[in-house]
Amino acid sequence: MDREPLDRPVTLAVVEDTPVVLEGIRSWVAADPGRRVEIVASGNTVDSVLGGEGAHADVILLDLELDGVNSLPRIPELVAAGRRVVVYSVHEDDATVMAVLRAGAATFIAKTETREHCVDTIVAVGRDRPYVPPVMAGALVAADGQTSRPMLSAREREALLLWFQGMNKQSVALRMGISEATVKQYIERARVKYASTGRAAPTKTTLLARAIQDGLITADDIIEYQSLAADHHTRD
Amino acid sequence: MSASETSVRRNYSLGARRAAVSIVAAWHLGFDLVGTVGTWESYRFPWLAGLAWVLYAAIGVVAGVALLRERPLGAGVWPLAVVTLVVSAMVMAACEPGDVVNAADWGWGSVGWLAMILFWPRPTWLRDLSGFLLANVVVTLAGLASAGALDARSLSKFLVVSVGAILLQAGASAGGHALDLAARWAVENSNRTAGAEAARKAADQVHADRLARYAEVRAAVAPVLTLLAEGADPADPDVRHESAVGAARLRRLIAETDDAPDPLLHTLRACAFDVERRGVVVLFLTAGTVPPLPLEVRRALVEAPIEGMARARSQARVTLVATPREVIVSVLTDAPSLPSADGSRAANVATRVEAENGGTQLWIESRWTAP
Repeated sequence: MDREPLDRPVTLAVVEDTPVVLEGIRSWVAADPGRRVEIVASGNTVDSVLGGEGAHADVILLDLELDGVNSLPRIPELVAAGRRVVVYSVHEDDATVMAVLRAGAATFIAKTETREHCVDTIVAVGRDRPYVPPVMAGALVAADGQTSRPMLSAREREALLLWFQGMNKQSVALRMGISEATVKQYIERARVKYASTGRAAPTKTTLLARAIQDGLITADDIIEYQSLAADHHTRD
Repeated sequence: MSASETSVRRNYSLGARRAAVSIVAAWHLGFDLVGTVGTWESYRFPWLAGLAWVLYAAIGVVAGVALLRERPLGAGVWPLAVVTLVVSAMVMAACEPGDVVNAADWGWGSVGWLAMILFWPRPTWLRDLSGFLLANVVVTLAGLASAGALDARSLSKFLVVSVGAILLQAGASAGGHALDLAARWAVENSNRTAGAEAARKAADQVHADRLARYAEVRAAVAPVLTLLAEGADPADPDVRHESAVGAARLRRLIAETDDAPDPLLHTLRACAFDVERRGVVVLFLTAGTVPPLPLEVRRALVEAPIEGMARARSQARVTLVATPREVIVSVLTDAPSLPSADGSRAANVATRVEAENGGTQLWIESRWTAP
């Protein structure tokens, strides 16, 4: 799945206030056959986690609601400090998903997402690769259909839609008559198109750099994507 | 009251008023004028009789025009009525004492006609006219007394003419008003008929709706009820599945008419909830806001997905993606198969049912695209 060799596990700091959810994440990470993720810190506030062992974690997994308080406002400062933030929440409506992405988070995981998606997402984000969990794919399709200037192509849209509907990438490829690699490309490119947050963030820059390396987009595309995304941001 | 009903009443009412004004005009020209001119020589003061005739005619024109044009005389009615009584007294005064209540004294018998059209449009016309006629009787009796003609012959003549004139004048007025009343009854009657007709049509519509709902419910549960009636074992998983499908269809019929802010989501959720209660793990994901859709479109959109959900063995992933121009409902489930859907169809709704994951799963997608 990944082209570069896995030299060390992605380190993860979990900010979560519900012990049972934390246990669930621990067991999912432990059940990953490749042992690709290592949880280095956990706690129920952003400051307690990042002030201790989590100071240098590759990825921060942030619950959107901590003790009843929305943690969305904390995202921009974390992103500005160069942290890769993965947000997860029970609130999986498209408005919440898009607000999280606009705040600069690398990606969004719904709590209804399955184990593979959760671990795969953390690994991808740890390596600055675009990864779109199915729920986020649905939000992207809905958000794109609401704008007057859609950014997604019809094929990208179709791939995201089938991915959201619960098919694996092999099935999506079969149904669309394309290769699995192309499906992956369509889905990841959609993420890159919505990568801009309207501010320069180190994670976004590395995401785009990776996207160019992987051939998802060309350097010429970036200006267009950024301007469209920035325009989208100011319209909201 | 409708426009045609109003015109029916107006026509009746105008006809009666024209008749009343015609009677007064004919009487004043045919009887009063002939009486005045024919006995001109016998008057004590002929000019007074002539003046009375002209005054009568003037009041007649004012009252007649007002009645035909439906202009109210308002406060002017009573002064005019008093002047009319004065006309009666003037004619008496113009006659020789021996001629009071004779042919030359036309006034006392005629003023009642004028009073009839004066009081015609008033709701209290009967009371007002009776009061006037009584006053005229008093004025005439006073005239007879002052002329010293209270003898049996004059009194009997006075009584006969008075009764005749009062009967004619009050009768004509009552007849005219009866015509008005008849028109009102006719209108009320036609209103009642129209109301009954509307009620009948509404009842027919309700009945037709009921039949349609009955047919829908029947189509939803008849197969499984037939199975059970034929002795199928309720413990048989297939029978239980058929029952679950019937239950889901009923659920949809109930939920789709609920007054919910988002009826499509409401219907899908209600069905998902029922399926979950059977122990099926339902993952329900939505993205976007559903635009307002007509009932037949919503029906066509949810029918196949709900059938799929109802047939799920252990799990179903239900998704809804909505944009202002497109709504896509999909179910990915381990249901074995779906009988070919021949149910709800709607323009711009396309449904696909396909095997997925090497036949282990069923993928159902209904898609509405804005025209």
